[in-house]
Amino acid sequence: MSDGAHRRSPGGMPIIETRDLRKVFRSVKRTPGALGALKTLFSRETVERVAVEGITMSLEAGELVGYIGPNGAGKSTTIKMLTGILVPTSGSAVVAGIVPWAERKRNARNIGVVFGQRSQLYWDLPLVESFELLRAIYSIPQARYRKNLADFTALLEMDDFLQTPVRQLSLGQRMRGDFAAALLHDPPIVYLDEPTIGLDVVAKEAIRTFVAELNRDRGTTFILTTHDLADVERLCRRIVLIDEGKLVYDGPVEGLKEQYGTHRTLVVTLAEPHTGVDVVGVESVEVEGVVARLRFDRSAVSAEQLIRRVTEAYAVTDLSIEEPDLESVIRRIYRDGYDAPRAAAERVT
Amino acid sequence: MNVAPYVEFAKKAFAREATYRAEVVTNVGSLVVRVYLLRSLWTALYAQNAAPPGIPMHAMITYATVALLMSLVLEIDGTRAIRERVREGTIATDLMKPISLPLYFFSDGLGQTLLGALLIVPSLLCALLLVRVDVPSPGVLALFALSFALGYAVNFFLNFLMNSVAFWTLETFALQLMVRWVSDLLSGQIIPLSFFPGALGRIVNDLPFAAIYSTPLRIYIGQLPQSEIGPALAAQALWIAGFGAAATVVWRLAQRRVVVQGG
Repeated sequence: MSDGAHRRSPGGMPIIETRDLRKVFRSVKRTPGALGALKTLFSRETVERVAVEGITMSLEAGELVGYIGPNGAGKSTTIKMLTGILVPTSGSAVVAGIVPWAERKRNARNIGVVFGQRSQLYWDLPLVESFELLRAIYSIPQARYRKNLADFTALLEMDDFLQTPVRQLSLGQRMRGDFAAALLHDPPIVYLDEPTIGLDVVAKEAIRTFVAELNRDRGTTFILTTHDLADVERLCRRIVLIDEGKLVYDGPVEGLKEQYGTHRTLVVTLAEPHTGVDVVGVESVEVEGVVARLRFDRSAVSAEQLIRRVTEAYAVTDLSIEEPDLESVIRRIYRDGYDAPRAAAERVT
Repeated sequence: MNVAPYVEFAKKAFAREATYRAEVVTNVGSLVVRVYLLRSLWTALYAQNAAPPGIPMHAMITYATVALLMSLVLEIDGTRAIRERVREGTIATDLMKPISLPLYFFSDGLGQTLLGALLIVPSLLCALLLVRVDVPSPGVLALFALSFALGYAVNFFLNFLMNSVAFWTLETFALQLMVRWVSDLLSGQIIPLSFFPGALGRIVNDLPFAAIYSTPLRIYIGQLPQSEIGPALAAQALWIAGFGAAATVVWRLAQRRVVVQGG
């Protein structure tokens, strides 16, 4: 039963802990074509696909973690196991003291879930009626319900559309409704799956502010799965990165940039236009008028060395160095794999 | 168990269905048209002496009218949502709620049913402009109500089982249609089962479909002798028990399928 109070795990005990969590999907092998389809009907041949390959991680209460990885990396599968609707092939997980798949309904009281792609609201009923229904589902005490509803209505500015049927809401309004719906019963743990997908900048910002405030004021633990890395940069201190079912990075956002953002861009404003800029140690050059952008590997050449070489060869009026943003770091990991930049970094140190 | 959420589900389903006012009016209208058509049909058949033995025309018209009124409730399928949610994948989010899903679908269906039941009154009044309906004694009416409720439960489990097939095949439309046709014919909704001759009649009477329409209707028009009412109700209860057990097993397997395959 949800008593409205937050169950912080005592003495730094993790609120979510997984050990070697592994999920293998088995499906009947399909042969293409009409005859193939017929064959499939009678075939007992199965193919195995490893979705999650031994994830071990631990979250403290009150953390806000970005859980990211390319499509098909196993993010959703992990979340489904943590919500208790999917049983792992092997390994263990404990969420707020409960093994989720063993006690699905009890675990459900401790969690809130928001899916950007599908709504949990009642399509045909006014928004507030969905909230009423959730009050009954989670047996939220009346006083607590009123307070939460009032708080969320103010924070998410839902006053204007509380009485509007959900099917008539804009995507931004619907998402705000979905957030309120997932949090009404004061879950200590909330899973967000692509919560800002398709939203405009204003709605995105409203959602991000809401999450940040809840995390700060109520100590709600959030796991955020997203492809919008601006969400992660704005909200998360910690990133768990998975690829092909394996955990490839778990640590601070800054650390990831440090480790993988091996490249910097030196932006040079030249005194007069040049068609090309040729400096030793630069990997690629883009010149546009008097502005040249020089991309370099900072483990191969230091910024100081590079600046000296440039200023020796050209007349320069201005210089700046662009730090990598999370987006470009992640893009690089997805493209080149996790090991390539790490290996490069290790060679140098 | 806490029933509050389930009461709320039923209320919300009622409110939701009531928002489609045009559909409500259309339902009543179409029912009146069907009553008129059936009256014409049976009158013509009786004039040709094509009537079944042992059922006078007024009883036949009563049978047809009451069957139509019952269909206002029995044609509502609250478990249809299973099929839809499995196909859309939203069944996964439903499972993330601390509730029993079969009970949820039952309550939701019950809420829709209540609206259907309320429609029976205006529909009956409109129908009475066209046909004369026999009214049995209060005792028989009570037995009919009991049998109707049992039939409702049989119908619920049958629908539940049909829709749960979606967990395995995703597409269940053809199957649904087939079962629907068979059920319409063999449940006694369209014609009394006494139309079926000899051995076929006995088989049809022993099928579960008969427990949905035929049993309560035969009680209503007095076709079932006093001594056979008890066993008929017991047969209905037996079907409920059997289907209920099957539904429990199927649901357990379905849940396991979701948890293994990921919905």
